[in-house]
Amino acid sequence: MAIRKDYFEWAAREFNPARIHEKPEALRGIRVLDLSVIYFGPATADFLGELGAEVVKVEMPGQGDVTRILGNASFFWKNISVAFFCANHSKYHVGIDMHRAAGQELIRQLAARSDIVVENFKAGTLEEKFGIGYRQLREINPRLIYVANTGFGQWGSFSRGRASYDGLAQAVSGLTAITGAGDVPTKIGNYLGDWFGACMSALAALAALHWRDRTGEGQFVEMAQCEGLLRAMDWTWLYAGLTGRNRAKVGNGDHVFAPSGVYPCADGYVALVAGTDGEFKALCRLIGQPALAKDPRFATRDARRRTEHARALDLAIGAWCVGRSRAHVEARARKAGVAAAPVMTAKDQITDAHLRARRTVWEHDDPVYGPMVECGPAPKLSETPARIRWAGKPVGFHNEFVLKSILGLDDERIRELYAEGAVGRWAEGRRGAGPPEDWKGEGVLQ
Amino acid sequence: MRGERPRPVDGPAWEEWIRQAEDPARVADKPEALDDLLVLDLSHGHYGALLTATYLAELGAEVIKVEPPGGDPARQWGPADASVNGEGLAFLAEARNRYHVTLDLGTAEGRRVLKGLAARADVLVEGYAPGHLDGLGLGYRQLKKINPRLIFVACSAWGQFGPKAKGQPAEYDLTDQALSGLLHITGDPAAPPVKVGSWISAYAQAAWGAGATLAALYWRGRSGRGQMIDVTGAEALMRYLEYTLLLQHASGHTRERTGLYEIAVFPYTFVRARDGWVFIAGYTDPNFGALCRIMDRPELTRDPRFNTALQRTQLENEVQLRDEIQKWSVNHTADEILARVLADPGPGIVVFGPMNLPTRTLEEAHWWERGCFKRVSDPVYGKLLLQMPAWRMTRTPPRLKWPCRPAGYHQDHVFQKYGGGVKKSLTRGVTGR
Repeated sequence: MAIRKDYFEWAAREFNPARIHEKPEALRGIRVLDLSVIYFGPATADFLGELGAEVVKVEMPGQGDVTRILGNASFFWKNISVAFFCANHSKYHVGIDMHRAAGQELIRQLAARSDIVVENFKAGTLEEKFGIGYRQLREINPRLIYVANTGFGQWGSFSRGRASYDGLAQAVSGLTAITGAGDVPTKIGNYLGDWFGACMSALAALAALHWRDRTGEGQFVEMAQCEGLLRAMDWTWLYAGLTGRNRAKVGNGDHVFAPSGVYPCADGYVALVAGTDGEFKALCRLIGQPALAKDPRFATRDARRRTEHARALDLAIGAWCVGRSRAHVEARARKAGVAAAPVMTAKDQITDAHLRARRTVWEHDDPVYGPMVECGPAPKLSETPARIRWAGKPVGFHNEFVLKSILGLDDERIRELYAEGAVGRWAEGRRGAGPPEDWKGEGVLQ
Repeated sequence: MRGERPRPVDGPAWEEWIRQAEDPARVADKPEALDDLLVLDLSHGHYGALLTATYLAELGAEVIKVEPPGGDPARQWGPADASVNGEGLAFLAEARNRYHVTLDLGTAEGRRVLKGLAARADVLVEGYAPGHLDGLGLGYRQLKKINPRLIFVACSAWGQFGPKAKGQPAEYDLTDQALSGLLHITGDPAAPPVKVGSWISAYAQAAWGAGATLAALYWRGRSGRGQMIDVTGAEALMRYLEYTLLLQHASGHTRERTGLYEIAVFPYTFVRARDGWVFIAGYTDPNFGALCRIMDRPELTRDPRFNTALQRTQLENEVQLRDEIQKWSVNHTADEILARVLADPGPGIVVFGPMNLPTRTLEEAHWWERGCFKRVSDPVYGKLLLQMPAWRMTRTPPRLKWPCRPAGYHQDHVFQKYGGGVKKSLTRGVTGR
């Protein structure tokens, strides 16, 4: 049966991005207390925030999260690194010094009023050093879901004294060893272990929320970035278990689908895969070599994926792509029913009509930072669309709102907390922590 | 309300306590977070949709995989030089904890049976071409009429809406990596871009798909209403690209691939050790200090090329700094370097580890202690080594219950439980086992 004529108009109405802000939010009423730093932690809280949770981000007064100053000179914009914003949307920013007893007490008070806590300190740190670990907070709030993200886990022989970053997770998991080709390792260009791990831990937090809805019970949830990457290596382990061998590095080829490759075009690269016999026949016609489909070297998927046969196909496809534009290759392939996609750069994406129509390229106007373009939420929900409400803010920007509206403190107590140093804002002159130099007080909540 | 100084928690130290609370050997004694949910898996030749249902199944949902007579084409997906009972390893590795039925959706009776299942399901996950199920009368707009509480997750390459939604080709990991922008920034600047070795876009798509499903479920608990969720592997990965778009907007600087170097943080790279490649990082001032200390090169912290984070992230300085590190690292084994890293008293901390081949990773006791892998003896597929769920939960731990089963394996059970009216003859004919 064919696709109904009105399907795409119906879907466009159902997901209409112009109506996102009129619709409810899935996690409205859920409060997330974000005690984490850098990406693997803040991103977990951020993803829950995109889906509608209220996120309170706690930072060290004065300097705040290190991503505020991450990067080389090209990252600095409006007195802050652009690296900060991607994991810190729509949060309430409070500056609390967890080293001080009064600061720890504020965290306990916030945890008592929260549904989910997210942290990514070394295992045991918040309990032993600050008195705000899971065992302490669950005494105050037995319904609490406590999410802890680490490199290697809360326990086990690697967990003692070993810190981790995404790059280490790539290396130690074995993912680097199955990526690329040749001897020199390929470092994956983004911090994949952080982001994938953060996404997975947000998912587990929501499963725990479902359980809490059924029973009233909170729990401790943990995600280790190495274990996330281990889990995401499809058939690597099953293959090693059966054969005792490591899966071979095949660059941009694919062990299952052939042809599969990245081909130079006139204006960049294009990725192309023909995974079925039907797609392969269509590809042969597309590149003007229909006879290839009958060639015994290429007649079946098994034949096509033999190394030397796959290489021959790569040459034929590459020769056809050379001199053509990416858009031309993509359009012709699409018409033929073959999957081809431009290797997109940020420059391509930021002006892409499709990504803009889906609000994956998300333009917004922030009261403090002005017009911004960021990556919008990935999943599109028809009834409760995920969204960006505002951009990350300076350290302690929402102190008064958090201390008054959430904790119910009065002005006098707040003044004391400032005076003690338990609460604070950005340090004057500290790059990344404060507002842009030309800020005139816009966006302040009292 | 002045707080007190933290006092130790009564009972065992944290590490001991959490080890007990997460003990992999006791997982089966505990309840499952999602065991009140019924999920229909209509993934059909779509790895991201398959994985979406897998995550929900690991967390306890009852998942029924509906395959056409003859089975899901994804059953053939795997490397050329190994398979089990004709099943491709990619499918066998991930199609776990499911009930398998076959049903011919090309027939009116098959569609009727599917509607009967959908009327009772909480979630339906599909990976057909956008509009395909709708054309069969089994799309969200038709099924929501018989089950307004249904959460319908549609996985595709370009999504269900937007100018490129109509007429889109099949979804593949490589094309998703290309569209996401990850491909462009991975690899050496002087060579073509390089994709991540596993089908990572499918894993990302599933993490978003299952996560959004659970958020929708939470909202359904309050509103009584289901909804449709549209997830693409390309956008799933694109959201993981940090500052890429904002950097473009703010500075006009297009993020490019930088090979073993990094525009945001450095050192954060691979170098050669005496016995292979290793990863090493120490990019903040205190951590860089620690790195220089373990290399016995304290003067590098004062070197004007390297003395600030900004200096260290200048590309020409990165190249020189990596050379300095490698001059030292090639004279030591990975174990020797790790011993130094662990013995360093601080301040600062070096992040370090070897680049492991998968077979080496499998030798590390840590992963086995933590139950990341399991060797099972399966009555259908024999001895299998499988990766376990990625999360730990103290109250409702996720788990592997059984691996993949042949197409239609649970036909009688499922249609007895949910079919009621499905006659034996119909089960044989329509479902085509």
